[in-house]
Amino acid sequence: MSEKIKILYVDDEPENLTGFKASLRLNYQIFVASTIPDALQHLRNHADIRIIFCDQRMPGKTGVDFFEEVRISYPLPVRILITGYTDIEATIEAINKGNIFRYIKKPWVEVDVISAIDEANKFYLANSMLQVKNEELQKAYNELNKFAYSVSHDIRGPLTGLLGAINIAREIDNIDEIKEMLFLMEKSLNKLDAYILNMHDYYSLQRGELRISDINFAELMDELKPLYSVHAKVNNINFSIEVLQEEEFRCDKSSLKLILSNLLSNAFKYQDKAKEHKSVEIIVEVKSAQATIYIRDTGVGILGSHIGEIFNLFYRANSQEVGSGFGLYNVKNALLKLNGHIEVNSVMHQGSTFKVIIPSI
Amino acid sequence: MALSFIVIDESELDCFIARKIIQNASKGFDVEVFQNPLLAFDRIKTENYPGKFDVIHIILLDLQMPLMNGFEFVEAFEKLEVDIQQHYHIHILSSTRNKNDINRLLDYASVFSVIEKPLTAEKLQLVIKNL
Repeated sequence: MSEKIKILYVDDEPENLTGFKASLRLNYQIFVASTIPDALQHLRNHADIRIIFCDQRMPGKTGVDFFEEVRISYPLPVRILITGYTDIEATIEAINKGNIFRYIKKPWVEVDVISAIDEANKFYLANSMLQVKNEELQKAYNELNKFAYSVSHDIRGPLTGLLGAINIAREIDNIDEIKEMLFLMEKSLNKLDAYILNMHDYYSLQRGELRISDINFAELMDELKPLYSVHAKVNNINFSIEVLQEEEFRCDKSSLKLILSNLLSNAFKYQDKAKEHKSVEIIVEVKSAQATIYIRDTGVGILGSHIGEIFNLFYRANSQEVGSGFGLYNVKNALLKLNGHIEVNSVMHQGSTFKVIIPSI
Repeated sequence: MALSFIVIDESELDCFIARKIIQNASKGFDVEVFQNPLLAFDRIKTENYPGKFDVIHIILLDLQMPLMNGFEFVEAFEKLEVDIQQHYHIHILSSTRNKNDINRLLDYASVFSVIEKPLTAEKLQLVIKNL
């Protein structure tokens, strides 16, 4: 069963407090306070108090004043005023000003209080839900902004390049120059294509459901290996794979593939071309219901000051190679879904090691 | 007065196009291209100009680049000694149409204009005419 709803009751008359607590303590967790400082103390200690009842007539301060003050520092708890008939003007004013959710007439009867709690709790939940949704929306909105910004560069950029090339092609007679330009145009188009494919990954991660299945890492590596073997051969990069798996491992295969292929692509992409011995190494070890994966390269390395940012959307730490700024962001999001995490260790001009840990689901 | 051009753009194709258009405009123009903005900046910072006031260097600068974007480049450039700065005219060459960015860029003392990609012979003529 879920936890009891936490309620704070503020009244300067001790017998009222005792009465309130006595009749409601079985179904709710009741905090009582006979002074405003005591009440504030409770609110400080229990951030999850959902409902505050307060008597209108308190020494030194009215309940309305207290609520007006408290709603600035503690906006979430729902405020209910307890008041005698003669205070009705003050009550109306408080409701109109939006300080309180509703009021209960004194002397109160239990059934009124319980119905007030039910209503207030619904209101509280709706409000909290709204806040969560608001935060999610804000995050989505921020990303949308980044997208809108990147569209002008990552999509429009290659297109204006192609337009520019077509423009000057009319004035170039030398066939070799035309060929050189076609080669660059092709590169530009490939970059645009990669961007769009990555964007697709981004959306499937955001919206996609997990499909859990048994993972055999040796088989998975057999699927991935051919994607890199040509590149490895042409660029003289030694590619080694080691899989140690003796137990079952369950995971979402497409997320796992996305993580591994992004990290492997990077390992191949950011090699130091000047180096004589170039290698990419992947080691997978499945033990105690979790997979630990090392992807190690002899590449250019990542500057220490950039490591904190490489997992951000559209961040790129290298100008040597064509990147979309999507890859590691997608890796991070996929790992978030799988409850895994990633560590980076990198030495400039020597290489980088990415360590990924994913629990079996 | 002699003109020389420095193109700073991450895209190889855009560098190629800019170089072609500048060379088509006049065989006498010097063109240097940089795909890495940091290298370009180092080059400008350390270049010596013993009394060479007769050469103006026009920088065609892209905005979104890794390591150092166009804004960062301009900020860093404006921190250089005035003696160095006065040899250069910065023109932004970008695919952006973002009004905020364009206005922000034009607020920099060292930015002469913002040109929308792709660069064409006509757009280059405007830069040369308005020196």
